Amino acid sequence: MGDLFSNLGLGFGVVFQFVQWTPSFLGGMSIPIPVNILLCLIGALVGTLVGVLPGIGTIATVAMLLPITFGLPPVGALIMLAGIYYGAQYGGSTTSILVNIPGEAGSVVTALDGFQMAKQGRAGPALAIAAIGSFFAGCVATVLIAVLGAPLTKLALAFGPAEYFSLMVLGLIFAVVLAKGSVLKAIAMIVFGLLLSMVGSDIETGASRMSFNIPELADGLGFATVAMGLFGFAEIIRNLDAGGEGDRELVQQKVTGLMPTRQDLKDSAPAILRGTVLGSILGILPGGGAVIASFAAYTLEKKLAKNPKRFGRGAIEGVAAPESANNAAAQTSFIPLLTLGIPPNAVMALMVGAMTIHGIVPGPQVMQKQPELVWGMIASMWIGNLMLLIINLPLVGIWVRLLRVPYRLMFPSIVIFCCIGIYSVNNAPVDVVLAGVFGLVGYWLIKHDFEPAPLLLGMVLGPLMEENLRRALLISRGDGTVFFTRPLSASLMAISAFLLVLAILPSLRKKRDEVFVESET
Amino acid sequence: MTDTQHSVAHKSILPAWIRGPQDFFGGIALMLIALFALWASSDLQGMQGFSFGAGTAPRMFGYLLLALGAGITAVGVFTEGPHLQVYAWRGPLFVMLAIVVFALCIRPMGMIFSAMASFMVAAIGSHETQWKETFIVGVCLTAFCALLFPYALGLPLQMLPTFLIR
Amino acid sequence: MKTLARMIAAGSIAAATLGLVALPVAAQDYPTRNITMIIPFAAGGPTDVIARIVASDMSKTLGQQIVIENVVGAGGTTAAGRAAKAAPDGYTLIMGHMGTHAASVALYPKLAYNPETDFEPVMLAAGTPILILARKDFEPKDLKEFVAYLKANEAKVNQAHAGIGAVSHVTCELLNSVLGIKPTGVPFNGTGPAMNALVGGQVDYMCDQIVNAVPQINGGTIKSYAIATPERNPSLPDLPTTLEAGLPAYQVSAWNAIFAPKGTPAPILAKLNAAAAKALDDENVRKRLLDLGSDIPKAEGRTRQALAALVKSDVARWKSVLKPTN
Repeated sequence: MGDLFSNLGLGFGVVFQFVQWTPSFLGGMSIPIPVNILLCLIGALVGTLVGVLPGIGTIATVAMLLPITFGLPPVGALIMLAGIYYGAQYGGSTTSILVNIPGEAGSVVTALDGFQMAKQGRAGPALAIAAIGSFFAGCVATVLIAVLGAPLTKLALAFGPAEYFSLMVLGLIFAVVLAKGSVLKAIAMIVFGLLLSMVGSDIETGASRMSFNIPELADGLGFATVAMGLFGFAEIIRNLDAGGEGDRELVQQKVTGLMPTRQDLKDSAPAILRGTVLGSILGILPGGGAVIASFAAYTLEKKLAKNPKRFGRGAIEGVAAPESANNAAAQTSFIPLLTLGIPPNAVMALMVGAMTIHGIVPGPQVMQKQPELVWGMIASMWIGNLMLLIINLPLVGIWVRLLRVPYRLMFPSIVIFCCIGIYSVNNAPVDVVLAGVFGLVGYWLIKHDFEPAPLLLGMVLGPLMEENLRRALLISRGDGTVFFTRPLSASLMAISAFLLVLAILPSLRKKRDEVFVESET
Repeated sequence: MTDTQHSVAHKSILPAWIRGPQDFFGGIALMLIALFALWASSDLQGMQGFSFGAGTAPRMFGYLLLALGAGITAVGVFTEGPHLQVYAWRGPLFVMLAIVVFALCIRPMGMIFSAMASFMVAAIGSHETQWKETFIVGVCLTAFCALLFPYALGLPLQMLPTFLIR
Repeated sequence: MKTLARMIAAGSIAAATLGLVALPVAAQDYPTRNITMIIPFAAGGPTDVIARIVASDMSKTLGQQIVIENVVGAGGTTAAGRAAKAAPDGYTLIMGHMGTHAASVALYPKLAYNPETDFEPVMLAAGTPILILARKDFEPKDLKEFVAYLKANEAKVNQAHAGIGAVSHVTCELLNSVLGIKPTGVPFNGTGPAMNALVGGQVDYMCDQIVNAVPQINGGTIKSYAIATPERNPSLPDLPTTLEAGLPAYQVSAWNAIFAPKGTPAPILAKLNAAAAKALDDENVRKRLLDLGSDIPKAEGRTRQALAALVKSDVARWKSVLKPTN
């Protein structure tokens, strides 16, 4: 424990470091500047901006801003990049709630209930609870990294391909549960998503699959492209349908209260807590753990709720839980990087790049060799989360006011922002057109009462699932029993089976009830 | 109002045994997508002993979607369900057109021109649009983007048409 | 085919000479504006880091900023294809790589460019040595035992790599072909996940660039049998070379080199070559490259002819080692 405090002390010492700035015009007077705090603030602000703008993802931004950080000292550079990373997690929820455009896989779930809340005039409470939940999750995750970082690393290492496959299966079951309509249709959407995720080159042979010799498809369909289309463009097109205006004016009149009520807080507190726990655990797993954190949290809340029917229709727990999980996972996903020096995702890989430029190549000894770097970063996470809460709560009022902009002006603006965002990811005009096509597909899905969220989850999990299945089978030489003989994998499979039964039972019962009702009348 | 008449006409065309047209046609469309995917992945390698080939997973999911599509179609035949919904044409057409305009213009014409043109085309998609107001907002938005993306975010976007730069 | 290629080459040389005659001033004054250097991989990767270190010193020498542009996709071949089609005026360069300018020929039959005829070699920038790595509890104690173990347990061992066309894939294919074995290759999505699997003991061995491996070896989470260079590396002075440890046939390095589009005037190429050579002699640049474990080419390796020869021999080598996908 003593170690922990001295380490955290070191960390906060690094974050609150002052650099004496002696400009010549002050004639020798020097001003102390808290450089790292400023960098953290800049990172958080840029991250929020990037998260709010649809399309521009975290990876793209970190990649773009990476060269700027080359001129900074390594600790400062990493603090700023980390700020961008979790700033984007905060900001991403904003567009999901306000205009139903999830910028990242994690915010897809937030959009389900968040956007419904906005439609009911409760955008303010939704945004505020997202920020509060994220802050709480961020604090807990920071402490967790500081206290349990090293032992938790073992969990990440125990996860082999078989375990990942089972985890992905569990993720797909979550997707079924989060559907509010027909289970059959939800499964069909997941499979549609899985099929879409197959586009691109095959990991094992490099063969190009269903890409029709279009170079832009050679690396697969981008998540941003499909999500912008299915959610963003489809929502716009649907709103332009005759009869949509009445709805929207209603939204504008209804806006009441910016902050959550006491009841809201009471409802969401346990959800935030559970979301934080789930997210913290799943975030540690490199390669896909963080992705399913928010889905898992949402599913858990829906299953625990007394009235699951509220979910998908503006339940505040449906915003609080996934947002907390999302942010907790974003933070704990730093654990493999800080303890092993192995980047668990693309953003972390870029951070390793930033360290490499400065001549620090992180490895298992990074905590001993660069304590000020590691603990400085951990301390900056907490500071960053506090800053984000302070930035985001006042912003809620501004965002909600944006909803009062007449839709006839709002929708072309969203179209432009989406177009620029998608284009900027790869500088590929084809991506923009593809997003448009997915907008039409999404419009069609809405008309046939298919839900796009399971489709997106299928698309995110598809490659992870296929790759890990193939890896597991390669390593086991085709022996499929590995999924059930390895204890971790077997328990994940058992949870999946249990959840699937839970998901299917009520709908069967409902069918039976309906039949019963019909025969009675 | 012509739209509603249209949908009434649609309803009468459908035979009585299709009890849930929304599911029926939704399922058929999914089956068509599945068949297309199966055709598109037919040239890929299948199983190689115990290891998956490039085509194994796409085909697996293709057949699965085919089956699920058939299931949804069956639901549409056997259970009473909602009717087909009305499709509007104006919104989808002009939003899509705006996207295409943006995609075609961004490389040769730069961001300022593309954003403005795309904004105006998208605005045609709503019958509520008031032109003077839309134009002013369009100009402001374009200016905002021209400052935001290259300066605040450091995106290397080309602002002006190529022929003006060279 | 050969005559056609020669005709094109001759044609482009003629075009280049014409260009030279028409614009003698342009070549003399070069550079008058910013130069773009395309990096075929994401910012922060080994190629990107090397390129930024070298380019920042070259900018000082040339008196114009070298702007780095990361173009990712299709194993770096998207970027190389774009660079091949750029105007041959010396204002577009590419930091090519063993993958984009040699192995790609063998891997992608429909490659949009030819590394030998569509580019002018400028200079070899750095080589990144390849190590033979294994999980820490893998039985063999040294390289000799490792070779014997692999040959005896060909059907049992699992080799990790970071995806088709990655350095860890092609260099390990070379190792396997030197040993005459075909182990089960387990693909991962990038070096990070592959290293994670090796540290976690999910797979047995892999080949990877020195940058990623040094901290893990020093931390004792994995072990290394040999380095595939002629001389030992200062980052890992105790690690024997493949020459010393008894596998001299396995010599490979993930090199990075600067290329210009075909037809770039010779005086400009000479200027660029001189600037790059000056960068490699700079104390600071040398230190940073050595920190990364890189090999800095010596004088005889820094000529344009040496790079052309390297590309030629490497293309032939990978053609014989790798079988094309599709």
